[in-house]
Amino acid sequence: MRVNYERCGYCGACVGVCKSMALELIENRIVIYQDRCKGCKACIIVCPLKALEE
Amino acid sequence: MRRVLKEEYDVLVVGAGPGGSMASYYASKGGAKTLLVEKSQEIGEPVRCAEAVPRLEEFKIEPSEEFVRSYIKGGYLIAPNGKRIEVRGGKTEGYVVERKIFDKYLAIRSAKVGTKIAVKSRVVDLYPCEDGFKVKVLHLGEEYTVKTKIVIAADGVESSVAEMAGLRCKKNPMEVCSCAEYEMTGVKLLDKHMMEFYFGDLSPKGYAWIFPKGDAANVGLGVIDKKKKAIEYLNEFLEHPILEGRLKDATPVEFKCGGVPVGGPIERTVGDNIMVVGDAAGQVSPLTGGGIYLAMSCGSIAGEVAAKAVKKGDYSMETLMEYERRWKERFYNTLMTELKYKNILQKLGERELNIIAEVMDEKLEEIDVKKIVLKAVKKAPSLLKYVGELIS
Repeated sequence: MRVNYERCGYCGACVGVCKSMALELIENRIVIYQDRCKGCKACIIVCPLKALEE
Repeated sequence: MRRVLKEEYDVLVVGAGPGGSMASYYASKGGAKTLLVEKSQEIGEPVRCAEAVPRLEEFKIEPSEEFVRSYIKGGYLIAPNGKRIEVRGGKTEGYVVERKIFDKYLAIRSAKVGTKIAVKSRVVDLYPCEDGFKVKVLHLGEEYTVKTKIVIAADGVESSVAEMAGLRCKKNPMEVCSCAEYEMTGVKLLDKHMMEFYFGDLSPKGYAWIFPKGDAANVGLGVIDKKKKAIEYLNEFLEHPILEGRLKDATPVEFKCGGVPVGGPIERTVGDNIMVVGDAAGQVSPLTGGGIYLAMSCGSIAGEVAAKAVKKGDYSMETLMEYERRWKERFYNTLMTELKYKNILQKLGERELNIIAEVMDEKLEEIDVKKIVLKAVKKAPSLLKYVGELIS
């Protein structure tokens, strides 16, 4: 998973659905811990702005 | 700032939204030594909300000019075919506020009764210790370990604190409404004291809204959809014929986005030495997506229960269960009924929505679901397969 920071509105919706705790919202930046990501794509579904991509 | 992170506390509240500020207010008021930890540099920022709040009198908070931007008397529900249903009075009354100022106002109110606040401070981990938790907080690149007897997790939709403590708070993506909103000036409102709600294909499994906000208006929508993004629906809504050009001269002054958990409350909101509050706990109206009233109410209860537990010297799950019992007593049935209505509403197509709107009176003071459903089924028996469970 990758964050397109140009598109991101740092709302944290993706963090709220990441059951593997691979995402964190640090102020205005979404951070991905790639080693924890299981590729479930829940984050892609909820993102209002298409800021997450595979 | 650094000093407050070097002390020990009775209660540590994570997140300075309305839920966290109310929880810390009542914890401090009840005599507990309380720390409120906010990860943002500024309380109230960034806003990810349509900013409508209910009447505040029951919280003993004056609707101050400082943060109230519009007084709301009700709303228009607008069907795909344009039929408007006016709902006034009762629960629909309230305010549209400037959240940035409102949230800070509530935090200051809490500080005035003794709460210490740490801003730009992020909880990165916590682990149980004798009689409480050790909470690791990162502030300006330095890590502090803060000992507390009770943690109140009010850390919003992106909540991780409850998970760190072993409570499940992550949501299913099909139960999170994906929202995008422009705050715009130059909007021609139907009425400056009325909210507007639009239903149908323009906002699948959610709705679009226009909320008056002083000289501006919040124009946004929430969807649950795998194909298209909220922002794409929003851009279409701005030019939608149903608005009859009322946004033609409007221009944005702010962009907001967010995720709203509409799948009902999480299974467990209490554990040993911990309580979960607000969006983190799924304490959101599944029907409207409104969460401020619930967060403030449940936060108040959590704060009171925390203070009581501190006095008693017992922070076990058993003692803290008073919080879960009390908030469920007040809200659980309503939340579950709303969840049922939401699940039905999400299945209805534009044709069905239009039929329901047709049988509704044009002016209402309260929405009597059963009565409406009966009338709708009489008119179009095909609706029975969607709404049957409501009248059986």
